[in-house]
Amino acid sequence: MAGREMEVAHLPRSSDPPSGELAALVKRLVDPFRQGAAAEQHVPTGFYTDTTVCIGCKACEVACKEWNLLPADGLRWTGNSYDNTETLSATSWRHVKFVEQFSVVEDPKVSSAGFSLERLLNEPKAGRWLMMSDVCKHCVAAPCQQACPTGAIIHNEFENVFIQPDICNGCSSCVAACPFGVITRSSLDGHSHKCTLCYDRQRDGLIPACAKACPTQSIQFGPIDELRERARARVRDLHQRGVTSAYLYGDTPTANYSRLNSFYLLVDRPSVYGLPDDPVNPTIHMKGDYLRAIASGFAAIVVLLAVLWR
Amino acid sequence: MPGLGTSVGFGAASNHPRDLVNSDCILIMGSNMAESHPVGFHWPVLAQQRGGIVIHVDPRYTRTSAVADVFVKIRAGTDIAFLGGIIRYILEGERYFREYVVHYTNAATLIADEYRGVDDSGLFAGFDPTTGSYNLIPGAWEYACERRPDGTRGLPRTDPTLKDPACVLQILKRHYAHYTPEAVARVCGCRPEDVVKVAELLCRNSGRERTSAVAYALGWTQHSTGAQMIRAGTIIQLLLGNVGRPGGGVLALRGHACIQGSTDIPVLFDMLPGYLPQPRAVPGHATLAQYLANGKSYLSRRGDVANGLWKEGAVRGGWSDMPKFAVSLLKAWYGDAATPENDYGYAWLPKLDEDLSEMSYFVKMHQGAIRGMFLMGQNPAAGSPNARLHRHALRRLDWLVIRDFFETESANFWYADPEGVDPKTVPTEIFFLPAASVIEKEGSFTNTERMLQWHERAVPPPGDCRSDAWFVYDLGCRLKELYRDSTHERDAPLRHLTWDYKGIDGELDPERVLREINGYHVREKRQLRGPVELASDGSTACGCWLYCGVFPDEKTNLARAKGDRLRGTSVYGEWAWAWPENRRILYNRASADPQGRPWSERKKLVWWDDVARRWTGHDVPDFEIDKPPDYRPAANARGIAAIAGDAPFRMHPDGRGWLYVPYGLKDGPLPIFYEPLESPFRNTLVRQQSDPLTVVPSDPMNPIATPGGDEYPLIATSYRVTEHYLSGAMSRFDSWLCELQPQMFVEISFELAGERGVTNGDWVIVSSPRGAIEARALVTARLKPVIVDGRPAHTVGLPIHWGFAGESVGASVNTLSPLSLDPNADIHGAKSFVCQLRPGRLAQPNPPTPLPVAPIPVVDDPIPDTPDAAQPLGRIERGW
Amino acid sequence: MRTGDALTVAIPGPRGYAQREVTQAPAWRGLVAWDLLFNGMTTGLFLVAAISELAAPQVFTPVAKIAYGIALIVLLIDLACLVLDLGDPLRFHHMLRVFKLGSPMSVGTWCLTAYSVPLAAAAAISALPGGWTHLDGVRRLAVIIGLLPALGSAVYKGVLLSTNAQPGWKDARWLGGYLTSAAIMLGSAQMLVLSSVMGHERATAMLRPALALLLIMNLISLGLLVADVRATLLRTYTRRRMYGVGILSLGVGVLLPLGLLLGGSTSLFVVATAACIALASLAVRFAIIRLNNLGSVAS
Repeated sequence: MAGREMEVAHLPRSSDPPSGELAALVKRLVDPFRQGAAAEQHVPTGFYTDTTVCIGCKACEVACKEWNLLPADGLRWTGNSYDNTETLSATSWRHVKFVEQFSVVEDPKVSSAGFSLERLLNEPKAGRWLMMSDVCKHCVAAPCQQACPTGAIIHNEFENVFIQPDICNGCSSCVAACPFGVITRSSLDGHSHKCTLCYDRQRDGLIPACAKACPTQSIQFGPIDELRERARARVRDLHQRGVTSAYLYGDTPTANYSRLNSFYLLVDRPSVYGLPDDPVNPTIHMKGDYLRAIASGFAAIVVLLAVLWR
Repeated sequence: MPGLGTSVGFGAASNHPRDLVNSDCILIMGSNMAESHPVGFHWPVLAQQRGGIVIHVDPRYTRTSAVADVFVKIRAGTDIAFLGGIIRYILEGERYFREYVVHYTNAATLIADEYRGVDDSGLFAGFDPTTGSYNLIPGAWEYACERRPDGTRGLPRTDPTLKDPACVLQILKRHYAHYTPEAVARVCGCRPEDVVKVAELLCRNSGRERTSAVAYALGWTQHSTGAQMIRAGTIIQLLLGNVGRPGGGVLALRGHACIQGSTDIPVLFDMLPGYLPQPRAVPGHATLAQYLANGKSYLSRRGDVANGLWKEGAVRGGWSDMPKFAVSLLKAWYGDAATPENDYGYAWLPKLDEDLSEMSYFVKMHQGAIRGMFLMGQNPAAGSPNARLHRHALRRLDWLVIRDFFETESANFWYADPEGVDPKTVPTEIFFLPAASVIEKEGSFTNTERMLQWHERAVPPPGDCRSDAWFVYDLGCRLKELYRDSTHERDAPLRHLTWDYKGIDGELDPERVLREINGYHVREKRQLRGPVELASDGSTACGCWLYCGVFPDEKTNLARAKGDRLRGTSVYGEWAWAWPENRRILYNRASADPQGRPWSERKKLVWWDDVARRWTGHDVPDFEIDKPPDYRPAANARGIAAIAGDAPFRMHPDGRGWLYVPYGLKDGPLPIFYEPLESPFRNTLVRQQSDPLTVVPSDPMNPIATPGGDEYPLIATSYRVTEHYLSGAMSRFDSWLCELQPQMFVEISFELAGERGVTNGDWVIVSSPRGAIEARALVTARLKPVIVDGRPAHTVGLPIHWGFAGESVGASVNTLSPLSLDPNADIHGAKSFVCQLRPGRLAQPNPPTPLPVAPIPVVDDPIPDTPDAAQPLGRIERGW
Repeated sequence: MRTGDALTVAIPGPRGYAQREVTQAPAWRGLVAWDLLFNGMTTGLFLVAAISELAAPQVFTPVAKIAYGIALIVLLIDLACLVLDLGDPLRFHHMLRVFKLGSPMSVGTWCLTAYSVPLAAAAAISALPGGWTHLDGVRRLAVIIGLLPALGSAVYKGVLLSTNAQPGWKDARWLGGYLTSAAIMLGSAQMLVLSSVMGHERATAMLRPALALLLIMNLISLGLLVADVRATLLRTYTRRRMYGVGILSLGVGVLLPLGLLLGGSTSLFVVATAACIALASLAVRFAIIRLNNLGSVAS
């Protein structure tokens, strides 16, 4: 099992309850600006999800909701295979996707003269049903964290992306910035929420609820380096067995995007799974855009001056 | 259960799910393991990662098929044809594990001359159409035994060369000769190569060095030929030498968390604890002595033969100890009142005089013959086949006591039935008693691997909720008090029932019950350590002989054991306790060769230690610990001493695995492919359309479609999805589960949708002779029809989880399913019946209305007594 | 995606998984469109007032003094829009916890804060009755201090919209350029209206050609913007439709005002000009806001 579990050691002491209305008000105003001691840096952790062994049971979705006491999203049947969750959202931090891939061509007919037992035994399965448990990618360079103006979104001591729920004011910059469509703003409290990689559980030495619940260990948790080794070994193994389309998504940085601390083993193009084929970090355009904007401003001012200066 | 039990001895899974990691090949058939046993499915996935092959054979492409290496689609209900094709392949190519087959199975046994096999009519000889049973030639299926000088039956005659035409192997070969790949493909709709493929993979992965496992579930049991499907699977495993070996065996994946326990300690009408037969109101069971002398298989006799082969079971093999089990049981139940003079209270046991299985008594209820009912943790108004009949039947009761956590369909049928019912017209007085849930009570539960685990109570039940055990115990106390002073003879059983299970707090103490189930020495008042201590003279009491050993002394409840030492590659013998005697893999004597050496180093489990002169290994040996492999019984040996040192299947009188079952199954010693009771297709393998012994209760609300008819040309198959549980009583009141699958739907193929003018998401009406339902259609390529006998076999997939009570409501599939009982296990045929489909909506007088979604503890305020850092991160909080 | 009872087919289409965009759209709609307009109006008015006052103080000072007050009012309306658009408006002050150069919204927040203080000072001093002329130097200083933050406040909005992952927006390289030059243009229009209504003929005469030139400049940057997002627009609108809308906006937003500008110099013409510009600008901003939702069903 990835990531050894430990007994819950002891929980940090709670802050004293404030006394009186005024004190509570002051506390509310002042607390967001207080700086605590920096947490001790930890080995970066993350998820490695092997979609080839996902059985689409959605235990991850339910375990996440149970642990975090997230409300149900509403009972809406989509008719999209077995996926009724539709998207990740502020109240669904795990989302299992289903992709049915069946050829419309007729199955091969009765054996011809060139029948070979070995070929028969090794023929590929006709038809695929891909399943994948989507979650926040916990990008090493996360556009949501870069865009967040309140500093609510941080990389915590485990190098996971964490939204501090007492800071967020719902500006939705992160919603706009995420190229994977992970975050949304909750209509219940007006804040953005997403997978916390069970920060609270990790601090107590436990593994995330979804990884714990996953019956086939499709979702694996642990130090990210260890997971990458394991994932690469699995890809080699799959290639040897004839599943040559297997590859890892997000385990290495690309030209336009950093590594993901929640990376995947996939067997088809990312867009089939609803992931961007080539994710781009939006901030690569920032400098140019500022320059263009400032230049336009200056040009207009120059024109204005030229007309007005007498 | 009878399919497996008659083949190998016990009707329970022979191996445990974790053992699948040792399998080189796993055939999952009649099971959607990934969706119905997701946690157990971890082991086949691990097996794959170690190089094993997972094969899934099923009418639908499911989440199991998505992960399996090989998927073969067959028409629902045609499993015996497919398995028969595999058996033929094994026999024609002589791919069976010869040494295993010769020594460990009855392949070499000769069958009596009266056995003629299957004739042109598709039946065995001796079928009596008037009684609907095989009684005309009583001795027709028996072994050919030697005749002793005194006329009694001797040992069965055998031919170890397997050449005699009367030997079981040759009979088997002739029986399946016409199950060619082409004939099978014509029936099942698969390709002929698919039979070859699966058979070849199984053959290549069996033998000394490799083992294959077969895992099945309700996809096999819930057919009119269910027991025979399981038989066919077990025949394959015996031929390939996989039973009793690591990574092998037949895994009966049971359908509920504790259903194994509920058949071990049964509330079933025809069984006493430990699979002892419930005595019948027949001469052979009139007294205890007769009951015991006739033995376990008395009810398997055909005709009135007094001394058929069935009687061997009372003389030789494990079941010959039945007197010890039965008398100890009676002592446990009646305590000091059970004495040798009164046959240990045998007369107080009710004697069965008719079929009182669930479906049969509901039919009686419908006819007004039953006045009241206790219904605990069961939901027949939505969960039983032909649910409409069940609801109508419930309305005829005078009183109904129902215990459950939520107001299920069986509790609110009197006003919420979609058919529309005026509550004033329902005479039933209904008492709804709230039940404690799983985490609110303690006790043991026995799962599919025969393992008893103790289950602690996490929180006390709220309000007036109580566990079923508490209720039954309290009810018993009150009844005993009511009848304390009665002098009627019929009240004697109640008065004499031992009923003292109070704990120190005055409430029921489940551990006291388990102690009694384990058994104790009556006079010395100490716990029994194992079934070998059981006696038939009244000196021991034992609630269930199979469980003897779980509570070996006053303080030690082995169901609580948490040892995590691994023996071999999959046996955690110190974790909890498995019956019998903490064996994890049954028949494990077969993991060693006839001389007691492991078949291979890779597959060693249990072996004979010649120095210590005892059996040893990774698991508790399923054998007398000191019986050497070369032990041969004396001619007149009885009991367990009549089992040779190389005979692993000790519950059988000959100690062998039965490829051919001489007694125990009503519809034949070998599986024949019969079409399901309702089928759009005619049987092309044998002339007899369907199993003639299927019992169809006669009731105007239970019409059955004629086979091959035009009115209902589609195959209906019902099944589970992972997100919900059974009839939804435990899952459709939970919004986290409801949102995963929020609505009833039916799955159909693009081809059928095109024919009927249905697009994905449309409302459709599915109808059968029993009724009609409406649901949305999920159009999917996974249900692409196979071609059977030249035309497409359209299948309509029906998830079983919905009903009219809950936060997510919808049509109940059991409105469509028929009431029928398979001849051996009384199980209904939910996996294959017929229906029709058309677009549209039903006009329902009282459409199901969902309950408002109960609020999850939406956390506005901080959870009390919890530090800030431990508050749930999903907490809703606004503002400053 | 679902509307009412219709459902998508289970086979993924050309748009990937379940016919959905990968990204999710923030709930930036009506209020944000108005915010884009008001932001441009306040920063533009301030910048134009400041620059014109500094360039030709005798002509523009009286107008500028009123302009600062109006800019302050529009700023407050703009800030109200921004705060109300937050999911949790009571926590707006959390924006001041950090300053992140890499977050356009953080840059914008601080720029707006830094801009509002000198603007308030300038407007307050401007509102004082005539005898407080010794504070004029302070006022000038405040105005100069406010120049850079004002420019920053005008610039950040477009960059915020173009540096994220939303379809349409993420390709809009010239969005910041368009909005910034539009701010100056809007500021000139407002300044022109003020001058005209207050009867300052000289100021009016100087501003009219300025506005005309700025209109054309803005058109150029709008053209560059449209070129950026053409692909996104074509996903929903046909070529014909797109050109039709383009011509309409061109007509109402540029040609008509130009015509009105050149046509007459009375207040009526000026106000009509400004109204057309405002209307067209608002329409463009609504179009910008909807850009990331094109092709998907409106949610």
